[in-house]
Amino acid sequence: MFLYILRRLIFAIPTLLLVAVAVFTLLRSIPGDPALLMLGDSASDTELTELRRHLGLDLILPLQFGKWLIQVLSGDLGYSITNGEPVLALIVERFQVTFVIVVTAVSLAICISIPAGLIATWKQNKGLDIAIVVIATLLLSVPAFWLGLILLLIFGMQLAWLPVVGYVALSDDFYQGLRYVLLPIITLAMVETGVLIRMVRSSSIEVLRLEYVAHARAKGAGELRVLLRHVLPNSFAPVLTMIGLILGHLLGGAAVLETVFTLPGLGRLLVDAIFSRDYPVIQGVLIFTASIYVCINLVVDFCYPIFDPKVRLE
Amino acid sequence: MITFTRRLISNNLPLKSWALVVISLGTLSPTAIAQNNQLRVRLVADIRSTDPGVNRDANTDAVVLHMVEGLVGIRENTAIGPMLAEKIATSSDGKTYDFKLREGIIFHNGEPLTAEDVVWTWKRYLNPSSQWRCLSEFDGRGVATIIGVEAIDKRTVSFKLDKPNALFLTQMARPDCGASGIYHRSSIGTDGKWKEPVGTGPFRFAEWRRGQYIELQKFEGYKSRPGLMDGLIGAKKAEVDRVRFMVIPDSAAAKAALLSNSLELVPDIAVSELGDLNGQSAVKIEKVTTAALSGLLLQTRDPLLKDVRIRQAIALGIDSQTIVRGITNALAKVNNSAVPETSPFYSAIQKTGFQTDVVKAKKLLQEAGYNGQVIKLTTNKRYHSMFDMALLTQSLAAKVGINIELEVLDWATQLDRYSKGDYQIMAFGYSARLDPSLAFEMFTGPKDMQPRKTWDNPEAIRLVEVSMQTSDLKRRQELFNALHKQLLEDVPMIALYNAIQINAISSRLNGFHGWPGETPRLWNVQFR
Repeated sequence: MFLYILRRLIFAIPTLLLVAVAVFTLLRSIPGDPALLMLGDSASDTELTELRRHLGLDLILPLQFGKWLIQVLSGDLGYSITNGEPVLALIVERFQVTFVIVVTAVSLAICISIPAGLIATWKQNKGLDIAIVVIATLLLSVPAFWLGLILLLIFGMQLAWLPVVGYVALSDDFYQGLRYVLLPIITLAMVETGVLIRMVRSSSIEVLRLEYVAHARAKGAGELRVLLRHVLPNSFAPVLTMIGLILGHLLGGAAVLETVFTLPGLGRLLVDAIFSRDYPVIQGVLIFTASIYVCINLVVDFCYPIFDPKVRLE
Repeated sequence: MITFTRRLISNNLPLKSWALVVISLGTLSPTAIAQNNQLRVRLVADIRSTDPGVNRDANTDAVVLHMVEGLVGIRENTAIGPMLAEKIATSSDGKTYDFKLREGIIFHNGEPLTAEDVVWTWKRYLNPSSQWRCLSEFDGRGVATIIGVEAIDKRTVSFKLDKPNALFLTQMARPDCGASGIYHRSSIGTDGKWKEPVGTGPFRFAEWRRGQYIELQKFEGYKSRPGLMDGLIGAKKAEVDRVRFMVIPDSAAAKAALLSNSLELVPDIAVSELGDLNGQSAVKIEKVTTAALSGLLLQTRDPLLKDVRIRQAIALGIDSQTIVRGITNALAKVNNSAVPETSPFYSAIQKTGFQTDVVKAKKLLQEAGYNGQVIKLTTNKRYHSMFDMALLTQSLAAKVGINIELEVLDWATQLDRYSKGDYQIMAFGYSARLDPSLAFEMFTGPKDMQPRKTWDNPEAIRLVEVSMQTSDLKRRQELFNALHKQLLEDVPMIALYNAIQINAISSRLNGFHGWPGETPRLWNVQFR
């Protein structure tokens, strides 16, 4: 087990290095000058040259990459070009917002989608199944930003129950913070519930057709016991993979949703950095996102044997 | 149903607590903060720093200029007037400026403002390590060098220049220079790094939550100038206890916040966003013409467009009136001059422009041997007005037989192309320039050294330089008139209109007015 973890962690190093090279090369190949974006159209050429030198953008690209890589390897992601803040501190600060929303929403989605998916499997091709499938399809078809805007319209504007803009950290004021994150959590949970219901249902139906399920039924096991004891554990592996992918994708930043709800999350940090060509922040966020993917994949792999004894880590 | 719900709540404790949370969430009004005399204003993006004129953009300037003030400032008509100074005396040779400070001004920390503070602030500005963006205007790379700043007495500061500079006070007052705001030395930490502005403005720094908001607090000790509100100078009184600039990038969210009383002011809303707000009793719409200039840049070194006849044909073939009406919903007027219509130098000659003449345009194209070659017009979708400008130009030019193809880029890429002069035609918008010399200078200059400049006529370059050194108003007007006539002849740019700033204001708010200088002014603003 220890060796397996070690091997996986060692494999992650070339992946992250590759990401670093790709991110740096692609980023510098797109046009756009951070100095010009900072100074605007009224900047003189002298001012531009000076700012470029100050930001280290006058160095040749391999030198810039080398300097950045040495920094990253020593745990320093550099400083933001736009506001001079340390990139790591910015990422940690913004990630907390995204983490709370994404983890709560995905947990909520899991809690709803597993029973809903199993019920749909149990009542396959009957009215309840069709209703669940229709709702799930509707939820996953609706763009998150649209759903978010509609919820804002209803609960923020029409009913005036919840604030429309702003953010308060839960650690500062739990009650106020809850009011600000409720709608983004509900929006994200609704969308992801649709995806997960479909997944739970389809993988459960597959397992339901296997012989050992028929055997369990023949032994006289009730339908609930069959579903929970025999179907769910054996069909959970693909759902787990999907949860891992969803978490990896969303923790990297739900930029559109964060923009709609004016949340200072990781996604918005990345989008703002792209618009202002804030290279250190873009590079830092992308490396961080890649690391999240690697970690989540690792955790998912470790979880497989818990649900499926046939899977061995060695 | 009610009985069932009640039973469910009384029998189930966790559910009960959740129900209570939900019920109480619904009872809190979002206007609660506004009732605490806090004014909430939208910012499209976070500010970059609080260091005046150093790491800045328009958002940053808008916030910082509520906390710091310079010796001079911009008036409502974009002319320059005294701010912290009571009187300004200029020597006969135009090389010495003496500023007498107003009496009784104190910093946010309670310390009185003295001439020594002005000298200290300016020495920091003139030190290259401060990274002040306007340093090049005063250290010899601009028109003149500041060769000395000294305190004559407790209330008098003297600036000495190496040669006369008609734009000295204008450069000082520029919002992008942080208005050369004077701040107390406690704004800098013991490590020499910038902490926060301890200025003399009507609001003081309170809190900055990055990516969320920046909050300012009323400064009780503020000493206002007498008279009426006048640009960034004139009477100022903080009528609200706190101002919170909230970072709301999404315009739909900003509108929703305004309509649900979660926000009191959305400055500079796009014309396309107006539809939902018109007719809403909770919102007032106010429009003001600014000094920002929008138009088409034509690359005079392009193999095709280097022929002035083709450039003239484009100018005569497209109807400026139709384009401006289309972009701004008829809110703005056509201005083919680089001089803003709000400027005192906007004379009858500046009002003359291109008269649409399709027949003449076709004749010019024929003479130039134009055979329908594709001309690329570069634009972007970040600024809708630039995209609309390109679209309308393409359509109108087609009627004359000019084959324009749109090239839509992201803003950063377009700006990069602009700085390299890498375009044929570009839909562009210049930020406001306070003085006509600066307005002409923004696109006039030698292309070999400054590729972003679109007009490199040597005579025009000379006239701009002379205008920068001339203080006589009559002579300056003549120079600007000559430049305008030449601009219409050469057509390196088709100036179209001065941008309209549209502000959406909560009807609960009184006293907010937009002005040509664009930055929102939140003094003298109160809740009804």
